[in-house]
Amino acid sequence: MKGIRYGWILLIAVAFFTATICYPSISISADTIKIGVVGPRTGSAAATGTAFAEGIDLALDYINGKGGLLGKKVEVVFEDTGGVPEKGVAAVEKLVNRDKVPLVVGTSHSSVGIAISEQANRYKTPFIIAESWADEITSKNYKYIFRAGPCNTGVVSEIIKWLKAEGFKKASLVAENTDWGLGIKKLTVEALKEANIEFQTIDTERNSKDHYTELSKIMKYDPEIILAFVYGFGVHYFIAQANEVGLTPKAIIFEGAGPPSLWPQFWENVGDAGNLECFISSMHKSAQPNQVAKDYWDNYVKKFGKEPSDYKSRSIYRVLLIAFDAIEKANSLDGDKLVDALEKSNVTVPSGQVNFGTEKGSVWYHQFQPPMLIIQWQDRQQTVIFPENVATGKLIRE
Amino acid sequence: MLKSKYILGLFILAIFLSFPIYIGKYWLHVSIISLFYVMMASSWNLLAGYTGQVSFAHAAFAGIGAYVSGIIAIKLNIPPTIGLFIGAGIASLFGLGLGMLCIKMGGIYLSLTTLAFSEIIRLIITNEYELTRGTMGLEVPNLIGFYSKTIYFYIMIAVSIIFLLIIYKIIKSDLGTSFRAISNDELAANSLGINVIRVRIVAFVISSAMAGFAGALFGHYLLLITPDISSLSQMFLILAMTIIGGMGSFFGPIIGAFFLETLSEYIRIYGEYHVLIFGIVALIIARFAPSGLDGIYQEKISPKMAKS
Amino acid sequence: MNSLFFMYLTNGIVMGIIFALSALGVSLIVGIMNVINFAHGELYIFAGYISYILSVKLGISFYFAIPIAILTIFIIGILIEESLIKPTYGNDMYSLIITFILSIVLQNFALLVFGPFPNKPPNWISGATNMFGLFRYGNQRLVSCLAAIGIIIIVFLLIKKTWFGKTIRAVSQDRETASLMGIDTSKVNMLSFGLGCAIAGAAGVVLAPIFPVTPLAGVEISLIAFIILVIGGMGSLWGCIIGGLIIGIVQSFGAAYISSGYKDIFGFIILILVLFIRPSGLFGRKAL
Repeated sequence: MKGIRYGWILLIAVAFFTATICYPSISISADTIKIGVVGPRTGSAAATGTAFAEGIDLALDYINGKGGLLGKKVEVVFEDTGGVPEKGVAAVEKLVNRDKVPLVVGTSHSSVGIAISEQANRYKTPFIIAESWADEITSKNYKYIFRAGPCNTGVVSEIIKWLKAEGFKKASLVAENTDWGLGIKKLTVEALKEANIEFQTIDTERNSKDHYTELSKIMKYDPEIILAFVYGFGVHYFIAQANEVGLTPKAIIFEGAGPPSLWPQFWENVGDAGNLECFISSMHKSAQPNQVAKDYWDNYVKKFGKEPSDYKSRSIYRVLLIAFDAIEKANSLDGDKLVDALEKSNVTVPSGQVNFGTEKGSVWYHQFQPPMLIIQWQDRQQTVIFPENVATGKLIRE
Repeated sequence: MLKSKYILGLFILAIFLSFPIYIGKYWLHVSIISLFYVMMASSWNLLAGYTGQVSFAHAAFAGIGAYVSGIIAIKLNIPPTIGLFIGAGIASLFGLGLGMLCIKMGGIYLSLTTLAFSEIIRLIITNEYELTRGTMGLEVPNLIGFYSKTIYFYIMIAVSIIFLLIIYKIIKSDLGTSFRAISNDELAANSLGINVIRVRIVAFVISSAMAGFAGALFGHYLLLITPDISSLSQMFLILAMTIIGGMGSFFGPIIGAFFLETLSEYIRIYGEYHVLIFGIVALIIARFAPSGLDGIYQEKISPKMAKS
Repeated sequence: MNSLFFMYLTNGIVMGIIFALSALGVSLIVGIMNVINFAHGELYIFAGYISYILSVKLGISFYFAIPIAILTIFIIGILIEESLIKPTYGNDMYSLIITFILSIVLQNFALLVFGPFPNKPPNWISGATNMFGLFRYGNQRLVSCLAAIGIIIIVFLLIKKTWFGKTIRAVSQDRETASLMGIDTSKVNMLSFGLGCAIAGAAGVVLAPIFPVTPLAGVEISLIAFIILVIGGMGSLWGCIIGGLIIGIVQSFGAAYISSGYKDIFGFIILILVLFIRPSGLFGRKAL
């Protein structure tokens, strides 16, 4: 008897507690415009979250320096995805239903991007993706989903152009066993066949630390170039160990995710093995296509007292500029009006003039692909080696 | 006396049922997640708290239920309402197998074996890309034809109440008495004529079926399942909720689940500290008040109220 | 037979020795105190971090950094034992749960303090050696492997030959008799828990140059240690060595010939198989 009674009292406590916490959700301040950003602030790609935070700071300085949007101050709510789809979904759930943001930008994992785009489309909230590369995101042709960042197809075609230009004949393709790795691997395999480049493929575990097994297989194959699609610190171990087994510098490693080669621990982890490594990026000091890009670079240096290294800070800056422009042009926070404005967007961002595809049926719908650069580490200095029109040097091989 | 208690009960139920009217979409979402954890923590408590089998495979069973139900809905077009039961059924079969494998072992071995089992499940889900879409996550259909948080909330609350009633019945029954007898002293229980092996396996099967069902339900609510559902960090949450609420007590896991979920909303702004805070709270409670919040209530607050 | 085969075998053995060292501390603690230290992997990474900070940030030579790191972990281990483990004696499940929660706390603490990036102390030695003219193998790996063998031998000597070793063996075999003979069992517990942690720390400093530490790296170490523990039998030191070698070799060949994505699964499958056939492990104690 007694047991049951105290149980009820506890239930009341629970109910009461739940009820009280519901309170804060009612108050929404109306004097600012809140924009939602999602990105990995924790987890294995937390470095990207740090870069995002820098980009957000600069974008807010820029827009609030101009007096905000629609006469209101702009505020960013930056939610963590941890690089995990569920967490991303929970973050958007909060942004849309609790913070009532009119639009969401961000993310850097394909899996998270895909999960969120389903959800954002369901909530009719425009979502501009910065760095989720999976083709699927835009090839689904969802009305509310935009991508102002690389898609796998675009990245692969750039890589293949480079391979052809350098005349590589034999390649090893190493891909992490995730959505992004396997997706980009499939596209690369097709493109390599078409380009008549001989290749082998090897899957690897993203968090694996010991790559000797994979590396021995590559040694046996003896390629000229190794295309490594690993987004995480695993690629650091891969580069260091490739040098130990004597694979490099005879063969060149090309790292196809980009940021890992720029993360602060890169040189500590790989040591001299990092020399002559190539990677993909969308930013370099010498390749500044317009004034916006130059301003971005200068403001970054002024604000943080160092040069920007991770191009993902500029990626989030780019999508935020696009979002600001859309809100201004739509003169409204309504989802459909924002989609309209985004489709007509022609704002200039650091990677050039934005122009979203509007023809349905392919990956290019609502897609804006920023130009990509191929960079090589030469004596711990970045040298742009492709495309030729912005190159600052030539590929060095042993 | 008895009557007033029922009135009180109905009143509280009414408060719960009216949630969708006044708490808004976001908190409704939080309540749904809390209810998922109530199911998970309570069914884990049945196993760990009442029979002393500290299993680390509970989250894995939720994963099995979720993926089975999701995959058959996509590949075989089986409606999720039936898929839920198939998912729970398969999870309970795995529970039976694991339970039988663990018969011969005592405490620590059982924990480590279930840990290995849970890692195997997670690795298979991650690597069987063609079937499960790996870390990308599996998009699964709605439980019912359309998406409504309110309806999901009522479903979750109904299932939670059913689960809790089942658990309550079990622990108050003869079976429950033998459960506790086993967890206290296996040899003694054996000599009392309790079939230790049977009781332990029954607990395993029931709790894994519940986890499978809860996992499937949760997957169809989120419309997305990823390997994270069967990860160790998920297992930590379930364990922490049970420990904080009170292990081996009926109300403990319920309190723990609501407490941690609400706490997690309050400390959301400190994203990075999140799990650390949970961990520290759980550690302090495990060390200084092993019977959890429920125990503290029973020891400290209840007697005082009785006196006054 | 080709050079690839020998490469896989060599790497399997080297990794096996490394795994054995990683599991030794846990095995020792279980053997003496019947406590599973879930936070083992986290102590391992903390040692790695300490040696990183001392050698990279403070510029101390690794000859000094290593003993300092091991000593620090020894002290941390004793503090953990005194504050958290002591009240749990006699209740295996209670200590398991407490150390599990502790491991989560330490992971997230490491994440907060050191960030998510891997931290790597400098290599002791650079370059690679040509092995029998068949393949090249990183020197640091070879040296770390030798150091691991050295530590394993020291621990064996300590347990089998010294007075301290005799005492803890007496306690692990029969606690009550040992206590009647005038051995202070709670002091033995404290020291052996500290020793187990110190071995985890030693593994951390020896292996951090090859496998840089990250906040979550400890989970992997703990899981491998548990597999080895169960395969080799709780508390059996020889079982620990054999278990480590089995896992190292199977993983290496499994990744090479079956699937590198499933690399981590082989150990767990062996574990379930071993339990199925011989529930007390290959070298296990019957009492458990």
